[in-house]
Amino acid sequence: MTKMINFGIDLGTTNSLIAKFEKGQVDVFKNPNGFKETLPSVVGFRNDRTLIGDPARTFAEKDPKSVGSRFKRKMGTTETVKIKAIKSSKTPVELSAFVLKELKTFVHTGEAVDAAVITIPASFDTVQSNATKEAGLAAGFKHVVLLQEPIAASLAYANKEKGVDLRNSQWMTYDLGGGTFDVALVRIVEGELTVIDHEGDNYLGGSDFDAMLVELLIVPEISRRGRFADLLNQLKSEKGKHNAIWYRLLHAAEACKIELSSKTSSEIDLSSISLADDDGVTVDTESLITITRSEFEAVIKDAIDGTAEMMKKILTRNSLRPEDLEFVLMVGGSTYIPYVRKRVGELMGIAINTSIDPTNAIVVGAAFYAGAKEIRTGNDLKTAAPNAHQIKLRCVYNRNTQESEETFTARVEGDIAGLFFRITGEDGAYDSGLKALTARITEDLPLREGAFNLFTFKILDAQNNPVDVGFDSIQIAQGRYSVAGQMLPEDINLVKDDLSKKDTVLDRLFAKNSVLPATGKKTVEVAKTIVKGSDDYLRLIVVEGPTGRHSSTNKPIGILMITGKQINRDLLRGTEIDLTIEMSESRDLTVSAYLNGTGQEFSQVFKGSERQVDPRLLASEVLQLETSVMNEIDEATENGSHDTADMLERLQNQVRDLITECSALAEDDVTDDRFKLEDKKRRIAQEVFELTSSKRLDAAKVAYFEAKKVAASVVQDNGNDREKHTLREIISLEQTFIESTNPQRIELMAEKLGSLRFQILWRLPGFLVSMFDHLNGRRAAMNDQVQAKQLFENGKRLIVEESWDDLSQVIRRLWDLVPDEERSTEDVRLYTGVV
Amino acid sequence: MARPIQEIPKWLLTLMNNLCEIERKLAVHGDPGHASRNVDRIKDALHSEELLLFYEDPMGQPFNETRTDLEASISGQSTENLVVVEVIKPIVRIGPPQKSWVVQKGIVVVQAKEEGKTL
Repeated sequence: MTKMINFGIDLGTTNSLIAKFEKGQVDVFKNPNGFKETLPSVVGFRNDRTLIGDPARTFAEKDPKSVGSRFKRKMGTTETVKIKAIKSSKTPVELSAFVLKELKTFVHTGEAVDAAVITIPASFDTVQSNATKEAGLAAGFKHVVLLQEPIAASLAYANKEKGVDLRNSQWMTYDLGGGTFDVALVRIVEGELTVIDHEGDNYLGGSDFDAMLVELLIVPEISRRGRFADLLNQLKSEKGKHNAIWYRLLHAAEACKIELSSKTSSEIDLSSISLADDDGVTVDTESLITITRSEFEAVIKDAIDGTAEMMKKILTRNSLRPEDLEFVLMVGGSTYIPYVRKRVGELMGIAINTSIDPTNAIVVGAAFYAGAKEIRTGNDLKTAAPNAHQIKLRCVYNRNTQESEETFTARVEGDIAGLFFRITGEDGAYDSGLKALTARITEDLPLREGAFNLFTFKILDAQNNPVDVGFDSIQIAQGRYSVAGQMLPEDINLVKDDLSKKDTVLDRLFAKNSVLPATGKKTVEVAKTIVKGSDDYLRLIVVEGPTGRHSSTNKPIGILMITGKQINRDLLRGTEIDLTIEMSESRDLTVSAYLNGTGQEFSQVFKGSERQVDPRLLASEVLQLETSVMNEIDEATENGSHDTADMLERLQNQVRDLITECSALAEDDVTDDRFKLEDKKRRIAQEVFELTSSKRLDAAKVAYFEAKKVAASVVQDNGNDREKHTLREIISLEQTFIESTNPQRIELMAEKLGSLRFQILWRLPGFLVSMFDHLNGRRAAMNDQVQAKQLFENGKRLIVEESWDDLSQVIRRLWDLVPDEERSTEDVRLYTGVV
Repeated sequence: MARPIQEIPKWLLTLMNNLCEIERKLAVHGDPGHASRNVDRIKDALHSEELLLFYEDPMGQPFNETRTDLEASISGQSTENLVVVEVIKPIVRIGPPQKSWVVQKGIVVVQAKEEGKTL
């Protein structure tokens, strides 16, 4: 069967990329460690490691003796890069091979990359081209096809704009990247794309523009704000006292440059740095530095004009007039700058073509080419048999530790010549780089506190192909399973009022198995106004036990009471309270509450060894329990569940006994009676919960399926794409929550479906009219009769006019006039005072 | 690599970068209006179960060539014993604290420890 190459590689001077052609589409792979498509073409050797890409680039400027960069320009020469760290030299071919091997790791699909189309600049001669091919073979590709970059960019364009007829035409590709500039004249000769001529500058690109912005605009402005003899030198010199700020300014300039591509001015905010002038006086960094687009354009004008000069040279050499060219195809990140496009267009008098993505056009074009290019098939393309080297590995490391770093060691037996190993953190924060495999390997692995640290371990051959040794993962739990790091045996929850159910609900603060010490934050709202000086109170109750159960089944571990007498002004309903909850290793609980309405903070520490039982609270809990048992008995009787009703009645008798015992308990009781009673209450509550839990679960499921049925029909008939997507999303999760034993979770989903349904209904005329009629029926009870009359009149007119949006506004205002039952109902007994 | 490559919308990263900068400014210039509370609230909302996003300010942390959660510029001459002396963008991670991964590298300036005291 014919197999296509499919993989395209842009082996760039500053950055490289890899892409794959599949089913007519090109997918550019992402750098697994960089969240971008590019890999800096930089290779470094530090402390017996080989680093490729970003980590190597970090050291390129300051440790050039250990790092090779821009080696593409030296391809095919006898010049080698002397690397001090390894006391030897590397050829540009060897360095390029490292980059190509690293690009293979971007291919997350796991397939072997045996062949690739690699792009080369138009300026490459045969020797340089062959050197690139050699690098490809050294990287383990069995088949390498080369493609000129301007052709690749043109292919990307031709594949994007399929309707464009490019026969008998010619154009220029203008490639201005981060650090290099190339321009080429491309022509279609006898149906084939050919590069006719080219020019370039190896040291011109976006990073030069950033430096120009800093030197010509930002530094002069900072100099005006203080007394500096030679600020620029102090910033740029590595011995200069402001050298650290230089890099911050470069980043600020880059951000400003990007912003100026879409806006006419940009403000540079340096207020997070502090800078003293030569007299030691702090310089004003708080005032913003405004850079306008025209100022920026003036700064880069000469550089852009220089590129146009190169284009003119090409035209002159080839006896062409601007009108002979179809367009100038813009490639490279710096061609995003509007001025570059505008200025080149003005100076050259040729149409500017910006229809392809300038950052990945070359690799995309290479992949399109690869998709149509056959590779040889046969045994030579099969990958090596796993572990042909007979490697045996014995690894030693602590799987649980309290240290911030753990040493991984392994003894290696077998044919280790020419092999490497590499360890990478699965969280993306660590990479050992490539290290030569020796009989004994040691690596210090940095660990994240309180986390499971997972690392991937790989042994690689000279072509970066993994060798299967039966060991590929290192797992270290930091701060766990040790004496010092205790784990929570149960959930820790906050009790809140649930106004709709006239009951309480638990809100999880710390999950079971969290490692102590732990800190959590929560924001709650005041459920009823607490008048200053009154006996009204809020109870912030922290309990221990499963979150899915009722609060009465959980063990109270701390109650912070805030009364009207403690506050300095009224605490209005709806005011937010910021809670901070800390639990120490010895399980001491600290609850702090900041009242946003009064600006006061209350805090209390509850010792893990002391139980908190407030007799008053216990009494009210027992009463609440009695009410809920009575309700459950009524319901069980109605449903014909006589066995359940009988058992509940027995529990009801126990609750009544408990009420008598609690009422006999003095508020300042010093015996352990209250603890006994609290235990008894909790035991009864648990039994009630168990007897009725299946009923709640069933009811929640029924309610969910009913909500789903009605929501689905409304969404199907009248929902938009977004609403249909939301419905699908909820349904796709159905299995996970329906099978859970947590009725609250199911109820939450039913509520979500309900909201979705109402969101749609509020747009429908039929619904609005019936809602309007319903409100008309409640008109007599409305709070403001004058306003109600006016609104009803308006509503009637709007129905006639079919102004449905306006009608929906009128209905919302009418709803505001309906007395708030929730607030006015006398029998709402708030248990905590917070929701 | 088993770690999923997660695309976080750019606006969300911009929001977090700016929040981190606000936090740093409050630390430098003082916080008479208690705005840190609001910053904390936004951070909590971002780290809620729906998003699980959080950032880390790596200021003062050691840096070497094995750290792939930072994109560093080296200030000064030495390339050994480096520590973070300037934070331009924080590290953004996603996931619960026990098992999170990097979704934005921190952008920092690093400097050798002994040179750092001039700052």
